Amino acid sequence: MELFKDTNIDFLGVKWICIAGSCILILIGVVSIMAHGGLRLGIDFSGGTQIVLKFNSHPEPGKIEKILKPLNIGLEGVQRYDEPSKDEVLIRVKQQAREGRDITQEVFNALSRALNPGAAAGRIDVNVQGRDTLAAALQNADPDNVAGQPGEASAAHYRAVGEAIVAHRSELGLYRSPAEFAGIAGASRAVQAWLGQNTVIGPFTLFSSANVGPQVGHDLRTKAMWAIVLSTLAMLAYIAFRFDFKFGVGAIVAIMHDTVITIGILSMLNREFTLVVVAALLTLVGYSMNDTVVVYDRIRENMRRSRRDPLSKLINDSINQTLSRTVISSGLTFLVVLALFLLGGEVLNTFALTLVIGIIVGTYSSIYVAAPIVVIWNEWQDKRRLAAAPARAAGKGASGSKKSGKR
Amino acid sequence: MSQRVWGRVALILVVLVASVAAYVASGVRRVKQDVTGATTPSLRDDLRNGIKLGLDLKGGIHLVLQVQTADAYKVEADDASSRLNEENKAQNLGLGAVNRTGPDSFTVSVNENTDLDKLADLVKRNLSGWQYTRQGTEWVFSLAVPARKSIADEAVQQAVETIRNRIDQFGVSEPVIAREGNDRIVVQLPGVDDPKRVKDIIKSTAFLELKLVLAGPSSDRATLLQSYGGQLPPDSEVVEGNEVDQDTSSAKVYYLLQKTAAVTGRDMKNARPSTDQYNRPAVSFSLKAEGADKFGRFTSANIDKRLAIVLDNKVQSAPRINDKISDSGIITGSFTPDRANDLALTLRSGALPAGLVYLEERTVGPSLGLDSIHKGLLAALLGALLVFLTMVVYYRRSGFNAVLALILNAIILLGVLAQFGATLTLPGIAGFILTIGMAVDSNVLIFERIREELREGKTPKTAIENGFSKAFATIVDTHVTTVVSALFLFQFGTGPVKGFAVTLIVGLAASMFTAVYVSKTIFMLEYGFRERIEHVSI
Repeated sequence: MELFKDTNIDFLGVKWICIAGSCILILIGVVSIMAHGGLRLGIDFSGGTQIVLKFNSHPEPGKIEKILKPLNIGLEGVQRYDEPSKDEVLIRVKQQAREGRDITQEVFNALSRALNPGAAAGRIDVNVQGRDTLAAALQNADPDNVAGQPGEASAAHYRAVGEAIVAHRSELGLYRSPAEFAGIAGASRAVQAWLGQNTVIGPFTLFSSANVGPQVGHDLRTKAMWAIVLSTLAMLAYIAFRFDFKFGVGAIVAIMHDTVITIGILSMLNREFTLVVVAALLTLVGYSMNDTVVVYDRIRENMRRSRRDPLSKLINDSINQTLSRTVISSGLTFLVVLALFLLGGEVLNTFALTLVIGIIVGTYSSIYVAAPIVVIWNEWQDKRRLAAAPARAAGKGASGSKKSGKR
Repeated sequence: MSQRVWGRVALILVVLVASVAAYVASGVRRVKQDVTGATTPSLRDDLRNGIKLGLDLKGGIHLVLQVQTADAYKVEADDASSRLNEENKAQNLGLGAVNRTGPDSFTVSVNENTDLDKLADLVKRNLSGWQYTRQGTEWVFSLAVPARKSIADEAVQQAVETIRNRIDQFGVSEPVIAREGNDRIVVQLPGVDDPKRVKDIIKSTAFLELKLVLAGPSSDRATLLQSYGGQLPPDSEVVEGNEVDQDTSSAKVYYLLQKTAAVTGRDMKNARPSTDQYNRPAVSFSLKAEGADKFGRFTSANIDKRLAIVLDNKVQSAPRINDKISDSGIITGSFTPDRANDLALTLRSGALPAGLVYLEERTVGPSLGLDSIHKGLLAALLGALLVFLTMVVYYRRSGFNAVLALILNAIILLGVLAQFGATLTLPGIAGFILTIGMAVDSNVLIFERIREELREGKTPKTAIENGFSKAFATIVDTHVTTVVSALFLFQFGTGPVKGFAVTLIVGLAASMFTAVYVSKTIFMLEYGFRERIEHVSI
């Protein structure tokens, strides 16, 4: 099967239209970012606290907000997380002025007090407590009567039981009724009965929480930026060394083009800018660079083969020759990323979305941006050289022609 | 020809076997280490555990702590100023008051009776690391830069050791406790789901000081300072108490304390839970010889005064000093038995040399981790399947070559990551996807070249030969460009970005091998033995 056979599309003919289109896209992105009051930074970069809880019934964000308001922690918002059927809620709290306050614990305690009166009576909440706490309580009560044996065996026994209780909770999402204790693999009848009598089943469990202080947020921001800037410069250097400086410029313009447009679209979709998005942007920079280098390689090869053709024809031919590969490769990667976007779950969602956008933009840019930039740069250089030629001929001699002879 | 082919096949098999072996060996090793794991690990467990999963996938706790190095300077300043005071008394130097002016500085006033030469000599011998300037009737002491550096360094190092001791009592498998930068410590505890308890154990213990009470307790600062004319006297500080003031039942109490601590957690030798005279939970401690000396002198000089037990800059209790105490004492306060236990444990495991502040804290619950893995795996498998299918439909027989090469690429990548104990995180999966994208791309490049050559009328044999050789330069370029940028990301990136870079670098190296070397070998196996090739399935 072959989709593209000896294509001869005039890609460069529409270069100005494409560049205008790209500029408009970039502009829209920038306007969107400004309209949103800057990038919506995730807590990785802005600092603050983010807590995701899973509830056993439909949670009401308004009610949770009401419980948390009196804490005076700078509550930013409570919203549904993931699909509504999953009963998950995301709580965001502003960065604290001072380091050291344990916001997660404060939120947790307040919700526990308000929603789960049973826990106040000193009973362990099986949906909240970790395996160590469960194990310790079980070891105290010793429902399996293993205390007669040496102490170490008892501790190990109940630690395994505690782990099984948490593992079963992970499979279920959270415990909803004592009947579910029967499903815990590795817990004896006695343990199950003990759980039923001595624990409460709270209305929520902790999915994830993150608390980033101002210093770390600042550090992550600068470090991520430096990593991106330096690695981009390194790519520029390699391409300038391997091909030619103007190729390097074309590649870097294409990369910046992809990054800015992708960030702009993310901003329009009101997605958060997090460390994971940075990783996704890095992925797409690598990917777009890969695409661009393939086209450049072909241009270089064709330059060696037929020096007489004008550069613009060479470049257009090269794009046509690599078109099949570009479309197939991008299409394949796009499939993988699309699968990740549709099925990968909430955690991977923004990451995958960034790549979905990025691969489309990146493929477009290696055809319509990276190579045309080289042509435009070249035409501009030629014009300047022509304009400067009389003066140069009088002065320095043939330094200009020497340079154009290279490659 | 055939000998060359078999040589290549042998090399590929060696790499394949080595990768699988590295993965399985790592799995066996990790399952064995896991103290909470099953007693007889099955092969399935081994295979599941070949690669260490990051906290974002497995669940667990990630903490970044900052060591308050200023605390360590303060201890040093306390020590130095009290040494100076003692020497002053012992040698009759005729010094005036020693005043603490900051956490890491103090002044000594001198007068005409002071033996300046003796003082200078004393500083040289006894107060190494301190520098001073003479300002009129005062000598201003401050910590010299090299001393600051070594004190801070030692404090962070000791904090790392102390935290490790404490974490070890938890029995966490594969904890990471590492120093980061100047004064930060990263703690990663996979599988731990009890953030509050962990944080309490690591930190709350932190910084124990025993200080002389000058005034208090009282319910507000103003009354506390009344007898001093409303002014904070020199070398003193106001510290909040942990108890509720019974008289006024105000929520807070304050003490006026001498700034210089008599002894600190540094001087602690041992600690165990016990009870006080009213049978309430308490913690008994004993001091090292040097600390006991200091404490003995201090208590005998301050009999009938009150001694504040300050933990993390909060007064736990302030008992009266009835007698000289030297090598042991008891910490009382409103402790629950659990709290007394934890406090003893942490004091025992080595006192922290300085306070800790949590800069960053991430908890991933086990449910979310499980969910991420299931969904991520499903998506990745489906994506891979789609790629395989497309390759086979589009390039037919040659598509199978690419699929084989891709599978081998994934196996090598997993093997190498397992061998080096790298952690697979979400961004790592991103690196994995880019790798697969680039590996498939290399194959596409080669196949498209072969097709081009065939279209130009070359014989199948030459077309394959040329396709590989012409695509090779391009493949090298794309790979090197990406590796160069990944190296920089590795060097300058933090956590997740680093994980991305590692996967990418390893994956690209593997991809160079599989896409070029392996798929060419498969072509050779397929077509190399025939005299004439009529047709290439591509």
